[in-house]
Amino acid sequence: MGLLSIIRKIKRKEKEMRILMVGLDNSGKTTIVLKINGEDTSVISPTLGFNIKTIAYQKYTLNIWDVGGQKTIRSYWRNYFEQTDGLVWVVDSSDLRRLDDCKLELDNLLKEERLSGASLLILANKQDIKGALTPEEIAKVLNLEAMDKSRHWQIVGCSAYTGGDGLVSVKLILDFEAARYWITWR
Amino acid sequence: MEDETEKQKKHLAMVERLSKRPQSRSTKPESSTESTSSVLSHFSQLKTSIEFQLQQSQSLSSDPPNLKLHCQNISESISDLEKLVAQNSYLLPSYDVRTSLKIVSDLRQSLQNLTNQLIPKTRFSFKNKPTKKVPKDTAIPQPKQPPQPSIPDTRLATRESPGFRNKVGEVLVAEFRGSEVGEFAVSDLDSCEVRIIGSVRALFVHRLKNCRVYVGPVTGSVLIEEAEGCVFVMASHQIRIHSARKSDFYLRVRSKPIIEDSNGVRFAPYCLSYPGIEEDLRGAGLDTETGNWENVDDFRWLRAVQSPNWSVLPESERVGIVDVSNLKNADEEI
Repeated sequence: MGLLSIIRKIKRKEKEMRILMVGLDNSGKTTIVLKINGEDTSVISPTLGFNIKTIAYQKYTLNIWDVGGQKTIRSYWRNYFEQTDGLVWVVDSSDLRRLDDCKLELDNLLKEERLSGASLLILANKQDIKGALTPEEIAKVLNLEAMDKSRHWQIVGCSAYTGGDGLVSVKLILDFEAARYWITWR
Repeated sequence: MEDETEKQKKHLAMVERLSKRPQSRSTKPESSTESTSSVLSHFSQLKTSIEFQLQQSQSLSSDPPNLKLHCQNISESISDLEKLVAQNSYLLPSYDVRTSLKIVSDLRQSLQNLTNQLIPKTRFSFKNKPTKKVPKDTAIPQPKQPPQPSIPDTRLATRESPGFRNKVGEVLVAEFRGSEVGEFAVSDLDSCEVRIIGSVRALFVHRLKNCRVYVGPVTGSVLIEEAEGCVFVMASHQIRIHSARKSDFYLRVRSKPIIEDSNGVRFAPYCLSYPGIEEDLRGAGLDTETGNWENVDDFRWLRAVQSPNWSVLPESERVGIVDVSNLKNADEEI
């Protein structure tokens, strides 16, 4: 416990947070991160490995780890679990066929002990696509109500493509995460 | 004299110290073996109680809410058991740790089997909203039916996106000129030809065999899963190809196309034509050739040398420009 509390103290001073961004392939993780950072999103290849973006928000420094979601590399997600403060799960709201997969992978992730303290934000991305499920419907599919009571979670719809709604949701993530952080280590 | 007493004191102290040493030495290992066996016996106690609980649950099968609670309890006890092993892992011999963990995972598995067997899985799907047509001539209002949680969940139909599904040997044409189209799905087709003229936001392709798929610009991404013996001609911002075999892809992509669990796939540049395609391509930001059609990332082949799973389609084997504006014409082309 000694070392852990020291690390926590250091972290509190720095107000640095580590946010892990995962989800199935094609859900738009990289696009969201680039959009948050105000970068060009017109050419994005499927992520082979991971990207890290450091974003300053108010008095916080957010390290966003965007890890590729292809099936082959999902098994490497575990390498990023250590010291994760916030977990962002991105869903392609228009990919109805793979929602089962999506639920399965999320359930597996939440079983992970090293992520037990991390708050969970679910981004129901691609809301701009006609026929996409609403965040409420996604919440129902993923059976979020049944989640462990000890976990803070929230679901937000967004569109990294159009950006309009996306920017609102981005603000929400950060506020949400920051608030959570504040509560935990005040 | 004082020195003498001092010396004696020291000597006594030393003797005492020495006399204690063998004791502490002998007690230590004993205590550890003791605790090892006590941990193991505790473990086996918990194990038998969980096994008993598991057996009991069969009798509860007629009482779903209780059964669920019961299963939760069992799951908690299994977690406790695992914790016990984890806490004592430093003093248990590694063999015991291994076997204990094996037992824990076996118990988990049998609990899983049991719940699968006894508790019907609630699969997600969409409810057809009950039409609120109350028959007017019934004088007595129907008493409200108590909700039956498990039944409706299983029979609901999944909402489907627009698309072509479950067809054999057909020519399927979709035209989206000037209309706002979201996602489009093409799935479970055998020996079909699919033409999508105009622009869509997202395209999902699933389980195609011996098909030819011609697609106008996709402004979002294309996801292809399970294709065999197919020809795809498509332009998109992102293309992901999973589990494809012996298929040819004529692509224009803004980013690198990727393949995963695929083999025998070949790539060539985009070659589709229909009146107004230039405008559609421009609108989608796909009017210039990026050359990315040959920058394929194989997620199953993360090495510097060329992946054996894909290749560039030799120019001599490529089809010419495919014009999908005329049905008969295009059939002759390939």
